[in-house]
Amino acid sequence: MQNIYFPLDWFFITLIFFSGAYCMIVSKNIIKLLIGFEIISKASIIAIITSGYLISNINLAQSIIIVMILVEAVVIATGLALVVKSYRINKTIDITKLSNMKG
Amino acid sequence: MILYVLIYLVIIVGVVGAVISKKLLNSAIMLAIASIGISLLLFGYSAPWAAVFELSVCAGLITVLFISAVSLVKNEEDTTKEKQIKYSIFPLIMSAVVILSSIFIPEYFEKLSSYANTTQNGNELKIGDIIWSIRGIDVIAQIMLLAGGVFAIKHIFSYVKKQEE
Amino acid sequence: MVIDLLSYSLIPMFSSLALPFFAKKNIRIAIILANVALLSGFINISYLIINSITKPDIIPIIDPLTVFLIFTIYTVALAISFFSTYYGIEKEANPISYYSLILLSVSAMTSLVMVRDLFSLYLFVEILAVCSFALITSDIKSNSIEAAIKYFFLTFPASILIILGISLVLASQKALDFEIISVSTNIMTMIGLSFVIIGFLIKSGVVPFHFWTLDVYQGASSPISAYLAGIITKIGGIYAIIKISIIMKYYPVETISSILLFTSILTILIGAFGAIAQKDMKRMLAYSSISQMGYILAGVSTFSSTGIIAAVFHLFNHATFKTVLFLNSACIEKQTGTTNMTELKGLEKKMPITSWTSIIASMSTAGIPPLSGFWSKILVIIALWQVGYIKSAIIAIIASIITLGYFVLMQRKVFFGKLAEKLTEIKEVESPLLLPVIIMSLMIILAGIYVTYIYSYLEKIM
Repeated sequence: MQNIYFPLDWFFITLIFFSGAYCMIVSKNIIKLLIGFEIISKASIIAIITSGYLISNINLAQSIIIVMILVEAVVIATGLALVVKSYRINKTIDITKLSNMKG
Repeated sequence: MILYVLIYLVIIVGVVGAVISKKLLNSAIMLAIASIGISLLLFGYSAPWAAVFELSVCAGLITVLFISAVSLVKNEEDTTKEKQIKYSIFPLIMSAVVILSSIFIPEYFEKLSSYANTTQNGNELKIGDIIWSIRGIDVIAQIMLLAGGVFAIKHIFSYVKKQEE
Repeated sequence: MVIDLLSYSLIPMFSSLALPFFAKKNIRIAIILANVALLSGFINISYLIINSITKPDIIPIIDPLTVFLIFTIYTVALAISFFSTYYGIEKEANPISYYSLILLSVSAMTSLVMVRDLFSLYLFVEILAVCSFALITSDIKSNSIEAAIKYFFLTFPASILIILGISLVLASQKALDFEIISVSTNIMTMIGLSFVIIGFLIKSGVVPFHFWTLDVYQGASSPISAYLAGIITKIGGIYAIIKISIIMKYYPVETISSILLFTSILTILIGAFGAIAQKDMKRMLAYSSISQMGYILAGVSTFSSTGIIAAVFHLFNHATFKTVLFLNSACIEKQTGTTNMTELKGLEKKMPITSWTSIIASMSTAGIPPLSGFWSKILVIIALWQVGYIKSAIIAIIASIITLGYFVLMQRKVFFGKLAEKLTEIKEVESPLLLPVIIMSLMIILAGIYVTYIYSYLEKIM
């Protein structure tokens, strides 16, 4: 009974990971890139809880997930601060226009 | 079983909607819907503490952060034009990926899950004991992480005043 | 977690939290506090390591890898902190948050080498990435923001791959401690650890993921480039791969070993050939750093005890000589205003101490005996030969000879020869800025002379 969920969950993890990666590769707007990064992080949370259910030790998986949600929030906050600072200096949020350094 | 597939449909609708939308505000709201879906999934796996953390932080705090950042760069968003063709063909590519991966992936992971270690141990520890005594290092790491985040944001915005002089 | 050394991690953390309160009265007190905290840690750890190396039978051994790496971390951090005090960082960035971020990153790196657990390792790597990503933006020019954006979007998605790998390891082992993983071999654990290794390879800047390192080393301000090149890309990337390869002693590792070897040889060659065509000094040093990272990875890919000792020793050598080279290029830029190597000729007459320390560091990079760089490169080549990768050993020797030839030519052009007309009025930098590079050059020479003591100390890792 326990083994049905593991392959089904990894099927959905692949789908969500692919959507987030597509959003990161295709967009030119930096805030959309951050949304893609956020989508990929959701896939990793599902991966941890699936493994926790398989070894029947949910509490260890819960404590890992609580810390990971905090890490994700801090990273997104610093990323958005960087985007706002870049907008104030360069007056653009287009990532193809940032090519001052070549080589 | 049907309940899990319904929750997964909510998550997939939220994620695909976040990728396709033209305006950034709609993307942030669809991301919040996906986060609510993940929180319901965590509750279904009988992990209530992680579910309530996910609900309050991801569906609340991060959505507010995104909306405030979008409103700070409001003028530029109207003039950045992207080709809509890249987003309109996304559902086609997505359905191709769904069909391909449904052939290969579930069998591979079913074979892989036979290697998993599913022995039951006698006593289950409560979550409070795990967070505070077994993984006590994570608590020090969380304090360091919050201090790092505060100093990093303070450093990035450090001298706007000097540039305006 | 090694409890004996916990104070090396807590004291910088509490100093960084107390720093803004001291800075309200006077900024000089806060800067002096930061430097004193790092200096006291450095004196303690050097006393511990000199005792452990020279009297191996009397002192009980704490884990040698941990103590050695804490010594490297404190050396580089103290040099950077002392240098930026006199370099005038107050004109470019906010000094309170700058010193707090340096102290927090030292605390995160020290905890990183002390944990015995895969998830705590990932957590401290994330803290280090947030601190270093904020330190890159400490410059007025707009290039630093662009470098920070490239660093953000090319390394943070690698953390998600690491978490996917950790979830597979958790499903097959029921716990994430290093001792439990190394005992029972299982194919699901191997697939999980491969994901983790790929994630850390992206974070450390090897080919084909090396594009962010070039822009970051050029765009950040000079002391921060030295800090990144000296210690952060190593502890934040290669150290985890070293630790995983110590765990996988009893696993069947043929495929992973050959893939890592192929990556490392490609890295060595691209780094060596890329450095030849550069005119800007900082970009040439960036290509040279990529090449040395390839040597460390080649030592790790053999999965044997000689290779791992060679990798750790080369990590220490690269930390010392690359820091000297970057700090000296900062001094040269401050006095002459340019880093273009075609314009700098005959610097030895006007800036003697800077020139001679750069020459010692360049000779150690190229691998000239009896300096320490020669011994670590020979150990890597011997480790490759012992496992049976003969062709890779020959390619490593050829790349080392190419680096040697190019560095000798560059030194003759830049430091010796006739003085250029524009440079007749420059003077040597003031003496407090020279103190860190002199001490590190002495360390390079001493490590080259006492190499047998260091080798027998590091042999106790396996």
